[in-house]
Formats: sequence, structure tokens, C-alpha cells
Amino acid sequence: MSDMLQIEVKVNGAQRLIDVAVHHTLLDVLRDDLELTGTKECCVVGECGACTVLVDGRAMNSCLMLAVEVDGSEVTTVEGLATDGRLSPLQEAFLDAGAAQCGFCISGQLMAAHALLSRIPHPTVEEVNEGLAGNLCRCAGYEQITQAVLMAAEGGDR
Amino acid sequence: MRGFQYARPVTVGEAVALLDEYGPDARLLAGGTDLVIGFRDGSIRPKVVIDLKRISELRPSIEHTGESISISACAVMTDIVEHAGVREHFPALVEAAQVVGSVQIRNRATLAGNICNGSPAADTAPPLLVYDAMVAVSGPTGARRMPIDEFIVGPKRVALERGELVTAIELPIPDPPIGSAYTRLTRRWGTDLASITLCCGVDGAGVTRLAYGSVGPRAFLVVDESGILADPHMSDDAKAPLLDRMFAEATPSPRSMRASPEYRLAMLRVLGARALRTAIGRLPKGSTT
Amino acid sequence: MMRADSTGVGASAQRVGGYGRVTGLQQYLADIRLPDVLHVKLVTLDCARAKIRSIDTTAAKQVPGVRLVMTAADLPQPVPRFGPQFQDRPILADRETKYHGEPIAAVAAETKDAAEEAAELVQVEHEVLSGGVFSVADALNPASPLVCDPALRPDDPLADTNTRREHRFGWGDVEAAPADLVVENSYEFPMVTHFAIEPHGFMAAPDGNGIAVWSTIQHPYLLQKMIGQILDLPLAKVRVFAPDPGGGFGGKQNPKLEPLLAFMALRTGRPVRLILTLDETFQAVRRSSAEVRVRTGFKNDGTLVFEDFEANFLAGAYIDIADRVVSKGSYLAAGPYRVPAVRILARTLLSHLPPSTAFRGFGIPQVTWARESNLDEGARVLGIDRLELRLRNLAHRGEEFVPGDTPADGNWKETVQKAADLIGWGTPLPPGRGRGLAIGVKSGPTTGLSYSTVRLLADGSVLVYSGTSDMGQGARTVFAQVASEELGIPLERISVVMGDTSVVPYDQQTSASRSSVLMGNAVLRACRSIQAQLQALAARLYDIDEAEIEVRKGLVRLPDRTIPMVEVLEAGLGRLGGELTGHGEMRKDAVPDHPLGGTAAFFEFNCTAIELEVDPETGHINIVRHVTVSDVGRALNPIQVAGQDDGAAIMGLGHTIMEHIILDEEGRIRNIGAIDYRIPTSLDLPQELVSASIENADGPGPYGVKGISEGALLAVSPAVAAAVTEATGLIIRDLPLTPQRVWEAMRDSAKEAG
Repeated sequence: MSDMLQIEVKVNGAQRLIDVAVHHTLLDVLRDDLELTGTKECCVVGECGACTVLVDGRAMNSCLMLAVEVDGSEVTTVEGLATDGRLSPLQEAFLDAGAAQCGFCISGQLMAAHALLSRIPHPTVEEVNEGLAGNLCRCAGYEQITQAVLMAAEGGDR
Repeated sequence: MRGFQYARPVTVGEAVALLDEYGPDARLLAGGTDLVIGFRDGSIRPKVVIDLKRISELRPSIEHTGESISISACAVMTDIVEHAGVREHFPALVEAAQVVGSVQIRNRATLAGNICNGSPAADTAPPLLVYDAMVAVSGPTGARRMPIDEFIVGPKRVALERGELVTAIELPIPDPPIGSAYTRLTRRWGTDLASITLCCGVDGAGVTRLAYGSVGPRAFLVVDESGILADPHMSDDAKAPLLDRMFAEATPSPRSMRASPEYRLAMLRVLGARALRTAIGRLPKGSTT
Repeated sequence: MMRADSTGVGASAQRVGGYGRVTGLQQYLADIRLPDVLHVKLVTLDCARAKIRSIDTTAAKQVPGVRLVMTAADLPQPVPRFGPQFQDRPILADRETKYHGEPIAAVAAETKDAAEEAAELVQVEHEVLSGGVFSVADALNPASPLVCDPALRPDDPLADTNTRREHRFGWGDVEAAPADLVVENSYEFPMVTHFAIEPHGFMAAPDGNGIAVWSTIQHPYLLQKMIGQILDLPLAKVRVFAPDPGGGFGGKQNPKLEPLLAFMALRTGRPVRLILTLDETFQAVRRSSAEVRVRTGFKNDGTLVFEDFEANFLAGAYIDIADRVVSKGSYLAAGPYRVPAVRILARTLLSHLPPSTAFRGFGIPQVTWARESNLDEGARVLGIDRLELRLRNLAHRGEEFVPGDTPADGNWKETVQKAADLIGWGTPLPPGRGRGLAIGVKSGPTTGLSYSTVRLLADGSVLVYSGTSDMGQGARTVFAQVASEELGIPLERISVVMGDTSVVPYDQQTSASRSSVLMGNAVLRACRSIQAQLQALAARLYDIDEAEIEVRKGLVRLPDRTIPMVEVLEAGLGRLGGELTGHGEMRKDAVPDHPLGGTAAFFEFNCTAIELEVDPETGHINIVRHVTVSDVGRALNPIQVAGQDDGAAIMGLGHTIMEHIILDEEGRIRNIGAIDYRIPTSLDLPQELVSASIENADGPGPYGVKGISEGALLAVSPAVAAAVTEATGLIIRDLPLTPQRVWEAMRDSAKEAG
């Protein structure tokens, strides 16, 4: 037992060894230690989804996980969606549909949408709304976010 | 967030030993979706946090043995929702697991954690009561099993002794099959804590099992063996007085900001009647009395 | 002309700044790392109202890493007070706290953990004071304690009351107005909070012999002025960085904790940083709740004879901008109608609650809820169609519906009729359903001053400088589109610079849906200045009279040929390169004896129509169709207009059907944070949401644009409530229309029916 622990995590494809305080959340470590600030902090109770990341492919609230819990896992953040500076079709669709307004929730929306499309490549509107129900948007651009996800799905393989 | 020590045992025995040593100063970490909130707001300040996810016996698994389905302590809601066997035999548990928070929460929150928190509003408690689930426990003196109805005690309290932890929740496959349904009352359609959780199960012999939560210190199970509630030909009006009596255990708090006692009591009847109709409709054809 | 195929005006161009928003690269305030920064945590008490006897910081200071524990005693004495309307808010609570969450002290430490730990160790010996003012009734009760020290209100006849100010507006003689029917009711509007997904954040650092302040603020130049005043620094020594806010909605208009951070930075000599939790934002900003009594006088044919309002708005312990919300909101209480006699009395009431402030709609949603609902009641009694009644009284274009103010600036009937058509008004209603329709109107800015600088660089790319804050409304995109349209430069070659008072010229503020109009015109004028310079350049280069040269959309037209602007630019600038710089200024001047200090620059006019059904057993409302039609003048970017209108409509549904702050007996927020304060999610949307615009190019902004973004929120509540009435027969005058409230109304009406 200790209050610091070295963990090994694959973050956006790169293997990392990080010393973390055991009481720090994955969100803390991503933002403060790894300076991956695309993942956002808002409610810190798992309600808003702004901190959503993928852990081993599943969408999770990084505010509700200790960083030590992802030891040995693969973590994908919004910074990991584009490849070689090229936006993913999902990101492109968000731009085309006007889905990003203030943008603060968008990282989380994108991660939740990415996970949804991995599971259901051609979702219905209802499935998109259900899949993104854990991501609050106070600009309430839900219509355009949903449209973006549907457009990305229509565009075929992401 | 205050600091603590973090332990990552790899066997149930190690976890039990730590739990036994630290007692109330230790907290078990499975999904953490409630626990981490408590760490942050200071309402939970353990000396040691024991992460169960490296214990091979507790790894996420749902095992179908023919007579029962066993859900391990680290299986999450998403696993339960997606499991064919659970979907076939325990649709009300699927309905309940499906509304625990958002996708992100369901990818993390465990069934065992939902029950061990002892929240009166736990969505999965009513279906587990209706399905007569058994809780498998390990502790310093060995392993034991107990019915879920005995395991759930009251707000934030379950029947675990010092050093004990839940290893699995077992669901006996109903034989003969039953029709069952879960429903809840919330303030919005999006993710919400329920003001009422309610599950209804009816069998071909006319027995109705009704479990409801969020309206008292714990979720309650009541059983009607008169056959009246399960009777598909009897009107809602005729069933109403009996249904009312089934809800006698409900004592919703007047202090709650989520719903008034009057509203909760009225909605118990509404949701009870609805769930009953759905459950009867789901009873396999030919099994009605 | 719509040019949907281009990036200029009328095109749904991609958001400028969108790339950063979909890649996580956009730097919001909390994403900025200042080297050597100290983390700040606030110290508060678990009660609304207390007398502070002493503060012991010994234990807190012993936490490793703690560099400063600041209390009011460490500030200049008397403790400086500030505020956009009244200088009433102390930088830290001074001997007394007046609301739950008011900061008493602040810790600065090397780590967040240390700051949090130390904040808990600050010992505040205090006496909880009972009998706080937590409601309109409390505030009007002469026996209640005074929230504001009368010494802070010299020469104020109301200083011995909890009424901060009273506003009286109106015209005609309400008492003498001959009505066939008078309908009188009271309506309650709930206390709600902004809940921007980005919590407020603040940083400050010593900067030479001045100070640099970072804030999520909407009004960087207002912050610069206030910090300059409080620290007695020249404006040139106060540099404000205002990164794009992650949602503002009015809650980020005015300075809050920046002065505290500035003092902490100067005291420690180091950068300091405070990011509020979402819970703390609940204690920082909210909308005023309101009780509005309205008497409406009708003729039998539905003609309005008078409207008489008494509106009590519950502000907080410090006024912030709440009193301006009350005056500006209540001023238009009578709505966009032709009413011969109007009387308005509105009060700004102090309370022991967190300060209320600007919030999308700025006082209009509260009065609109009352007015429009009361119109429906009149229509029902008179047996007149609700749409017909509104159209009968609606002001025509050019009509001075508020005497002495800007006349109706749109074909408003067209807007209302379009909403009615889109909802199928008058068509048979499926069983169990109801429809409602309501109108909202809000003044744009009454004064304003915006400057912009546009630089046409040697390669024909463009920099636009603006002090507007882009908080999601899309200001960057719109300004870039204006520059693109004027200079014929594609959007990819235009950058819009914002958020640094040492770089961008002055802008009064980002509020009242002003920026497309005021800053938009400033950008337009800056571009036109560049065009004029190009004209002069071409005249010199080609030896042609300036009058014979026309510069438009990137082309320089000479009498005999047309040359791309860039060629003229390159030739004109010559070997050394350089640039052309244009400045644009747009003013909306004050009108000295106007009750609001100025007339409306434009009106945001909206009609909202709803079709819904109500679960007769549970009271749940299911919105089948939500139509919102706004008179936007011209949609500079239609997709952004739709996004803003959708968002305003859904935010309106929030306070209409689910949102409300619940207080305990001690004035503390019970449903603080995201678990029990419910806002709409993707599962709470109308089955169908239709956002439509009326575009007659009749606004004062570039190409006829009017402000947008607030209109679609204004009339949601009365439209929904009217539809509930039609579906159920119930009249509910309190918001929100939660399932429980609707069910209670059904139960009560069943009881009455016997």
C-alpha cells in the first residue's frame, strides 16, 4: 500500500509510465500531470459527461475513477481522435453540423459518440439520444449533435 | 480530495484480511461511481481503499449454470444489460440496470456495488427481491450465502459483518417462468435518481411478487398469493384495494426534495398497476392460471 | 442575397474556432497553465447569515505548501466593495456573511490538495443569525432584518427597507381605462441557475508594475475598469485575458472573484488560480425569481384596454446587475402590443441569497410568463381564439408600442403567423393534446460602444480584432463572415483575435444579443475603411480619379478593367510589404431622460408554439412539437442561428418543466450541483423541435441583421402552460411544471369537481 504509485497506461496510443497520487482521479492526472486538457471538468459527480474518456474502448467518466484504476489499461481522450492532424469523420461531422457551440461539452460528447458508433455503427435517433444522455450541453445543441453523429454514421467507417 | 492508502489485493483472502484489519476505516472499491463522489465531498474518508478489480475470482463475469445465473462482484451494469441469459430470464433486472445513470456510469457501476451502497433508491434492488436473488459473501470465517431480502437492511446498511465482502449475486432461474417488469418515477426522462423504484413479477400459479424502493428506509418485497393481482381478466379497479395494501410499507420522507409523500404514494399505485399489467403481458403464453 | 455556397453572409460556414473545439485544443481558462502558479480555495460557512467573530488561520498556514491565507483583515480598510451597479460587494466577507457560500477567506497553496486541506482548517468563530430574508414575502416584511447596511445607501429613501430600488413605468391612465373584462392573477417564476458547463475560473499574476487577470468573463473591458479602480492602477497597467467562455448565458458578465485574486497575486507576488466547482457556481450566479401580479383590461372584442403590473424580483445579498435586469425587463412588461394604458411597478428586493445576475432573457421571461398567461385567460373568458386576440393587439411595423421608444422594427405578424402555421393552429387536435402559443419581445442594447480593428496583411489575409467574447454564440464566425463578405477573402485566410485587452480595442460588453449588430457594424466599418484605402491606393497606382474606382468583395473595379484586390495591395505596398489597417466604431448613444438611459437598438421578437400531451396519471408533460420563430432580420449564418434558437428553446423548457433551486429553511441550496438540479438532457427534448427565422433584412446590423439568441427562450413558459391548460383544463400559475405540480393540480381539480 502506498499513497503514490507508478502506473503503466497507454494514452492515445503511447505507452506511458506515470507516478500518480493514489487519491487523484483519472481526470486530475490527465489534465494536471499529462497536460491533456481536452478532457473537461464540470460536475465531478458523473452527471455531465464533460470528462468522458474511453478506457479499454468503453466510455467512462474520468472524474469518478482513480487514476490507479487504469493501470494496465488503454485510455483514449479527445486528443486521440484525430490521426496525424487529420480529423476523424466524427469530428468533421461535428463541424459540418454546427454541433460545437461554446464547445466545453464537446470533448465528452465526441468520446461518448465515438463509443456509441463503435457499438452501434448505424444508430437511430433514439439510440443516439440514449447514448449521449450522460453528456449535458447547456448550449443545448442536442439537435445538431445528434445530427452530427448520424452524419458520421452515414459516412460509413470512421 | 483527501489522501488515503490504496491496496490492490489479488485474492479474496487478501481483501478480507485487509477489511478485517481496518474495519470501518477501509472502503471497497469496485465501480467507484458513488464512492469517489463521497471521497471528493468528504462524506467518505477512509484510511485505506481496497480495489477489488485485480481479484481474479471477482473479475467481471456472468455465469449461466442452468439453474441460476451468477453475477460476479465486479460485473458492471453494461455487462448485465448485454447478457443474453439475463435478458431472457430476468428482463426486469435488465430494465433496472439500463437506467442506472448514463452509459458512462453503466460501464463502471457494478450490481454488487449498487446493492452494497444500501441506497433505498437503488434501481436493481426491487428486481433482485422479486427474483429472490442470493448474495454470496466471503469473510474471515469463510463463505456464506443469504437471501437478498435479508442482506438489504436499511439506508446505507447491509448485512455484512466486519471483514466480509460480496463475491457474487446469484439469480435462480424462475421455474416455472414468470412475467416481470421494472419501472420507476423520475423528475426528467434523462438520467435521474428515482423517486420510486418498482418491480413486479407474476407466475402462472397466480402469485404476484411486488418490490418497491425509494419510499422508505429500504426496498420492500410483498407477495400476493390470492391470485387477484395476477388475474389478467380482473379490472384495475378491482385490483386497486389489494394493490394499495401491498404498498403499506411505504413511508416516503416528507423531507425529500425529489417528490412529496402524497405524490409518491399516489404514483406507487399508478406505477404498480402499470408494472403489473406489463408483467402479466410478459407471462409466457399458456402459463396463466 | 443568400450565398449558401460561399463563406460570406448568409452561408452556414463552419464555426471559426471549431477545430479547437472538436480536438480538445481550444484553451479555456482552466486549460491555461501559468508557471509557478498557486492554487486558491475559498473558505465559506455552512449557513447563509452569520456574524464573524474571529478567524484563526494558524492551522491552515501550517499545511505544507500553503503560501497565503487571506481574510478581510489582509485587505485595505475599509474592505473595498465593487459591483456593476452599486459598490456593495466586499472582496471578502467583512464581519458578516450574507449568503450561503459567501467567501470569508481564501487559501493559496502550491497544490490543489494543500489548498483544499488548509481551507478546511481555517477556523471561523461565528454566530449564526436567524431570521434571514429568503423569499419575496420575507423581503417585503418590515420586520425582517435589513440585508444591506443603510450606511451603504446614503440619501436613499428606501435604505431602511429591503427594497433596493423601485421602478415605475407606464403611460395612459389605467384607472380610467374602460374595460369590459379585467383579469387579475399572480404568477411565480422560479429561481434558476445558469449551469454553464464551464464553471467560472479566475487567475491573476503580477505583471511588471501592473497586473494581469484571466477570467471566464463576458465583459473583459468592464473587468479592466473595475480592477483599475480597486487597485488604483491606470487602465494600461491592467491586462485582462478573457479566453472564450465555455458558455456564459449572462452569468459571466460581471466581475466576481477577480478582485480577490488580484489582491492575492500582489500579496504573494505569484500567479494565483481559482477554478470554481459547479456547486460553487450555484452560489455565485442565478436568475432572480419573481412574483408578478398582472391585471389585464380587455374590451369584449379582445382589444387590450390596459395592463397593470406589480413585479417583485428577488435579488441576492449583493445586487450585481440584478436591478438593471428588473428595470429593463419590467419596462417591456406590456409586451409588443398596442395598449392605451400601462402601469408597471417593479421592485428589486434584497435577500440573504446568492447574488442574482443577468441570465439569457434579462428579466423578460419572468414578465412574459405573467403577461402571456393572463392574455390566454382573457381569451378563454371572452371566447376569443388566443392567436386572434394576440394578432388583434400586436403592434404594426413602425408603431411606437412603448411611447417614446424605438417603434416596432419588424413585420411581427409574419413571425406569429408562421409559428401558428408550423404548429397547425386551428387544425383538429388529437385527443389528450393541447396547444399553446405565446409571444416574447426583448430590447436589444440601449447603449453601446464597440471598436474593431481589421488588418489586411500583405498576402491578402486578414486579422479581425474584437473585444467581444465568443461564448458559443459564434461571434468569431460572424465577424469573419462580415470581413469575408466585404473583402472577398475566404474564411480560411481570416483570423479573429479576441480576449486580450492589450491587443483588441475597446468593446463595452458582450450582452443583450448585441455583438452581431454593434461589433458587427464596427467590423463592417473597419473593412470599409480598408476598402477606401484600397481605392486611394488604386487611384494613386493607376492615376485614376478615386470616384471612378469601386472596391467590392475583393475586387477593384477601374473604369476599364477589374483587378483582384490582392494585386492592388501588393503593388501598392511595394517591396517593404506592410499592411492596411482599418478601424471601425459603432455607438449606440445614451438618451439622457429615457427611463432606461437609451432606446432599444432593436427588438428580439419571438413567437413560440407548443403541442403537447400530459400523462393523466403521473402529470408528466410530453412535448410533441415545439415551434420557435424569431425575427432575426437576417441570418448571417443560418446553422448558428438555428443552434442558438434550439438552445434557447430547450433552456426555456428547463425553467418551464424542471429547473428550480430548492432552498432549506436556512437559505441554503438543497439541490446544489448536478445530481438534484435537473437540466434538460438529450432524452428531454421535444419529439420535434422546429426553429425558424423571419428574414426581412430590417435590422440595424450589417446586412439588416438583428440580435438573436435570447428570443427563443422568452415565451416558452406561457406557451407550454397554455398547452397544458388546453390538454387538461388546468390553470397553473407557478413554475416549473414538474410532474408533481401538474399532478397536484389534477388532484385538486378532481377534488373540487367532487
